[in-house]
Amino acid sequence: MAQRRTSGTNLFMTVLCVVAMCRAVPINELLERASQHSDKLHSLSTTLTQELDSHFPPIGRVIMPRPAMCHTSSLQTPIDKDQALQVSESDLMSLARSLLQAWSDPLVLLSSSASALPHPAQSTIFNKIQEMQQYSKSLKDGLDVLSSKMGSSAQAITSLPYRGGTSLGQDKITKLINFNFLLSCLRRDSHKIDSFLKVLRCRAAKMQPEMC
Amino acid sequence: MACARMVKHLRLPLLLLLLALAAECNSMSPPEKPDKLGCRSPDKETFFCWWTPGSDGGLPTVHHLYYKTEGQENMRQCPDYHKAGSNSCFFSKTSIWVEYTVIVEASNALGNTSSDPLTFDLMNIVKPFAPENVTVVVNIEDSPHLTIQWHTPSNIDTKSGWVTLKNQLRVKPDKSKIWKNYASETQTHFTIYSIDLGVVYMVEVRCAIDNSWSEWSNTTFVKVPNFSRKDNSFWILVFSLCLIPLLAAMIILILKRKTVKKYILPPVPSPKIRGVDVQLLKSGQSEDVINAMLLNQRFPVMIPWKDQKEDYLIVSDKETSYLPLEKKKIFILPLAMALDSEVQSKETSEVDHFPKDSESSSEESSDKTESSQLLTKCSSANVLNDEKANQLKGVTEKIFQPFGIGGYVDIPRHEHMQEADYSRVNEVNGDNILIMKKENIPHTLDTRGQEGSVPDNYSMVKEVNSDNVVFLEKHSESVNASFKAKGYIDWVNQKPKNLHMAGHSEMGVCPQLVGCEYVDTVPPPAVI
Repeated sequence: MAQRRTSGTNLFMTVLCVVAMCRAVPINELLERASQHSDKLHSLSTTLTQELDSHFPPIGRVIMPRPAMCHTSSLQTPIDKDQALQVSESDLMSLARSLLQAWSDPLVLLSSSASALPHPAQSTIFNKIQEMQQYSKSLKDGLDVLSSKMGSSAQAITSLPYRGGTSLGQDKITKLINFNFLLSCLRRDSHKIDSFLKVLRCRAAKMQPEMC
Repeated sequence: MACARMVKHLRLPLLLLLLALAAECNSMSPPEKPDKLGCRSPDKETFFCWWTPGSDGGLPTVHHLYYKTEGQENMRQCPDYHKAGSNSCFFSKTSIWVEYTVIVEASNALGNTSSDPLTFDLMNIVKPFAPENVTVVVNIEDSPHLTIQWHTPSNIDTKSGWVTLKNQLRVKPDKSKIWKNYASETQTHFTIYSIDLGVVYMVEVRCAIDNSWSEWSNTTFVKVPNFSRKDNSFWILVFSLCLIPLLAAMIILILKRKTVKKYILPPVPSPKIRGVDVQLLKSGQSEDVINAMLLNQRFPVMIPWKDQKEDYLIVSDKETSYLPLEKKKIFILPLAMALDSEVQSKETSEVDHFPKDSESSSEESSDKTESSQLLTKCSSANVLNDEKANQLKGVTEKIFQPFGIGGYVDIPRHEHMQEADYSRVNEVNGDNILIMKKENIPHTLDTRGQEGSVPDNYSMVKEVNSDNVVFLEKHSESVNASFKAKGYIDWVNQKPKNLHMAGHSEMGVCPQLVGCEYVDTVPPPAVI
């Protein structure tokens, strides 16, 4: 009985998928949605860094690690506009997906640290981190769908593991400094993702220049 | 000679000493370090940096800007000191997602002073210029609205997708303090509909690259005019056009108000007697009234009473006993005698009119012992009062019923009632009472009967009370005779509902009626 039902539902799902594929969402529409997500992600990270900076010990700026210390800095990305415009679509998609993937664990760490962050704007920061996690998750799903339409090279992901451990530090200053550093790395990477996706969107919408 | 050679050797160092002393006296110093370094990228491709120089220490000072990127060891000098104005450096070739370090050095004859280093990433210093050529157009046709247009700042590459601009504008009335923000994504025009007439509005626009907003543009002031004359005249025209038919309709209604009233509230038909003028009745004399009613009435044709069962009422004197019913003598009780409630309800009203309306009773009753006629049923002529009553009511022939009950009263004979003496019915009191006038009326007996001669023992009916009692009166003496009607009740009960009298103008002919006998005492008056 149950087997018949599962086979029935399988058949139904197959039919549904076939129908859905015949009316699949076009790539430029998917890219539009993806770039809106990435824009939101970048905007959240920007406001987060600004809020953190409002009450940041000045010494922290001095001893903060350099951005080269970000766990994603090993990934080779274009460093100016001309270079970026020469990268192929698949590579751009691959880069975006790799960067996004690299932040799934650190976001969890940021979220757990934000719940007890010694900062006056702690609750706002915590809420924004939560939001970022949601957007990151939905963007990841969207990019999975997109990359499956763009070929196998678009689906390659470079692994960029986070090796910072499970805690940001013991004392208040260290915590804040490490938190700020992670946020600055996140801001840069989210900006990269956003820029790549917007370039992709513009390329896909050749018929509609107003999309760019 | 040795002295002159000594002065010559000492001249140069002395000069230098003097110069040093002079410099010391003027307090010249190396320059102060340049301050307030800033950098900005308006298009995510190029950027420029500026600084504020410190005091120059009294000597001509030059400033140099040095920078290096993340991976480099050596500082490089600014490529362009002029494009971005004085005390600035313009970078045309840049890298993004790379950390820059910038230092400005001020140097003069006495030394160099460097500013604090500034580190930044290109993405952090992106900030576009405000939009240009903001135009606001007021449009008050249809619904008032503002159309706002602007241009994006120049030299921004949006075609390749490297840069995407978002726009935002804000509007507020001149006097208000609160701005209303509107988002316009990538388009460079916008329309606002919620504006009030006669207000001065301030409009500002700004744009953003990657969530980094520019400054607000210069304020544009615009005044919304108070009203549109064209708009107004249109409405005046519409209003007047609508008003004219309304006025016309109202005038017509007023002029024809009577007709309208008749149409809307049709007059309720009031009781009317054909040929009788209500006004005459109101104002006229009683004779006129009677004339009007009697003269002008066309009495409906009386239809002989058919298929009626007739019962007879045996009426006898007080002293005498009931005599057997004799069909020869048939007396017809007036309507008043009818006790059938159903019939009475129909006819009583007629009877009520009965005495009031007719003063002159043409009814004659025989005071003879033989017969006393109360009323003829079959005779249309003698049932004057009824007829009159009916006529007064305007009852049609079809439903004309002179009596509710066609019944007969059989009055037994009296010996001593020789002469046929008739009395006129003076009035009928109430329902069942006939009041006779004591008169000697020469009678013209015109009796027709199916059987034999007229019996001569009639009594005059003096009174009939409501208990089915007929009071009779003798001509010579006033004798109150109460008779109980024998078959009265039977007669009453068997009374059929519908009396139908065929129109007969002649005297009481009822050939079809069984036992319909009557005495026609008086020929129908001429007036009828």
